[in-house]
Amino acid sequence: MADPVLRLHGVSKIYPGPPEVRALDGIDLSVQQGELLAVIGPSGSGKSTLLHIMGALDRVTSGTVEIESVDVARLSDRALSGLRSHKIGFIFQDFFLINGLDATANVAEGLVYRGMRRRERRERAQAALERVGLGHRLGHRPNQLSGGERQRVAIARALVGDPTIVFADEPTGNLDSHTSEEIAELFTALNDEGATLVVITHERELAERFPRIVELRDGQIVGDHAS
Amino acid sequence: MRSRLRLGDLFGLGLRGLAARPARAVLTAIGIAIGIAAIVAVIGISASGRADLIATLDRLGTNLLRVTPGGGVLGTGSEVPEEARVMAARIGPVESVTQTTRVDATVRRNDLIGELETGGIGVLASRTDLLGELGGSVREGRFLDEAAIRGPAVVLGSVAAQRLGIRDLDPRPRVYMDGTWFTVIGILEPLELHPDVERAVLIGYPVAEKLYDTTESPSTLYVRAEPDFLNDVAEVIPATVNPQSPDAVEVTRPSDALQARRAADEALTNLLIGLGAVALLVAGVAIANIMVMSVLERRTEIGVRRALGATKRHIRIQFLFESVLLSGIGGIVGTALGAGITVAYAANRDLTLAVPPPGIALSIGAALVVGALAGLYPAWRAARIPPAEAVRK
Ligand SMILES: Nc1ncnc2c1ncn2[C@@H]1O[C@H](COP(=O)(O)OP(=O)(O)OP(=O)(O)O)[C@@H](O)[C@H]1O
Ligand SMILES: [Mg+2]
Repeated sequence: MADPVLRLHGVSKIYPGPPEVRALDGIDLSVQQGELLAVIGPSGSGKSTLLHIMGALDRVTSGTVEIESVDVARLSDRALSGLRSHKIGFIFQDFFLINGLDATANVAEGLVYRGMRRRERRERAQAALERVGLGHRLGHRPNQLSGGERQRVAIARALVGDPTIVFADEPTGNLDSHTSEEIAELFTALNDEGATLVVITHERELAERFPRIVELRDGQIVGDHAS
Repeated sequence: MRSRLRLGDLFGLGLRGLAARPARAVLTAIGIAIGIAAIVAVIGISASGRADLIATLDRLGTNLLRVTPGGGVLGTGSEVPEEARVMAARIGPVESVTQTTRVDATVRRNDLIGELETGGIGVLASRTDLLGELGGSVREGRFLDEAAIRGPAVVLGSVAAQRLGIRDLDPRPRVYMDGTWFTVIGILEPLELHPDVERAVLIGYPVAEKLYDTTESPSTLYVRAEPDFLNDVAEVIPATVNPQSPDAVEVTRPSDALQARRAADEALTNLLIGLGAVALLVAGVAIANIMVMSVLERRTEIGVRRALGATKRHIRIQFLFESVLLSGIGGIVGTALGAGITVAYAANRDLTLAVPPPGIALSIGAALVVGALAGLYPAWRAARIPPAEAVRK
């Protein structure tokens, strides 16, 4: 088997208190290129913490994180930023779009830190919006879009730079069940096109649509199986 | 594989950041604008005023001495020799000398008004070169010339003309002096350094002698000398013009008054610029305040940008640039405002406009520096926010 895109080995994260919180405790996890996996677990189990660490947004207390076989602990903050701008995409529960910008500009913002020219950014942003089924909403601002549409914009922003791996933290947490299903279908479709996705959720129903489920409890992996 | 932010995009980020809260941006920029406008206006107005003052000084020269050999109005009574002027002219560095002598006569608009009603206007016997020596000019008509000094012709000082109610020479006005009608042939422009001449009516020596027994003994001498030897001349003049009682001689330099005004102007200007600088400082603190607030409010945006690949430095320069942009806009508006005030003031006061371009560049530069300093701390704080915490709910 090829080298994994992402490999965690003995990862622990302790938030120094008081009181001290051991949010992750000896996590071993590998993600292969082209995988689509769900991470589930109850509130407070450490899902978000894990996502931030996998996405090089936060550092471990102990253990190693390798992205494409590079140990990120050895990278400077600047190099980590470079890594995020080129290899990693994030999707958040609250979308975190910029209100004053239309859909195209919001998605194009995902390429700003690559030093790409505006024209090219916009072209790619429009293509990404078509890809998530929002080709008809290019000029709409976030407050003119439904929750599901906003999340699609956020997904397009995460995908626009063709990252190696995309992390989504409760992407359907603010959406009704019908819209959630649509988003889940979108993830499956994007995965079919080759995207590697890690989706965090606490809805087992949603997780079961994905090929692999990792279960987290009290900062430990208590299950890792194909569904 | 590095993060990169284009300069143009940085510009866009800054503008967008400000545009997101326009009212706040405007209010903050106003502070800077007021400070800068005050400084520019003060510099501009004082520069314009000073340009005029310097022009006046240049025109009048600083090398003129005013000598009252008999000690002014409260003279000693000892007769000043008639040859005083000639003696003074013989002093080496002296370039020219002219004089006036008080005439014992009263001037009236006509023979029906009582003597007391035109008080304050003196009659002076004058030589033809007086006006030139004082650097003055005529507003109407002409000054006393070789023909005029022999006949009943009079030239009015600007204040005297006003007091007599004579505004122009049409129809040929006359004044009445102790039994003789004099024709007004000229009215002078103000002579700000010589109020005694402004308040006088001037007639020629020959006619003064004939009608009022005036002698050549001078009441006032005007001595122009080589600037480098002015002090030496001032020292020897008393004994030269009034050998009998040199202590009674008063020597003054009329341009000293202007020089003093210039110094006072500069002191006031510096004070006002200092006040403007304080205003700028306060505006800078306001910017820092607003930017810190903005950083707190935009924690999530900062987290998202970091997730999208922004380095700490990118976050830092984004906020720094926003701050500089804010103060820069304030600075440009303020400079325009200050320049406008200066132009209006100069036009209103008929001053030579002098808004020095380096001053404008400097004031905008000052605004930018204030913005940069004010932005340092907020920018540093923004960059220090841990991204993982910033994207948590
Ligand atoms: N900055 C922090 N400092 C201290 N403790 C923290 C911090 N962030 C998270 N924690 C704690 O770490 C544990 C894991 O938090 P995390 O947000 O990863 O859980 P989660 O599984 O994402 O929960 P949820 O489903 O509610 O989002 C929790 O007990 C939380 O209180
Ligand atoms: Mg969470």
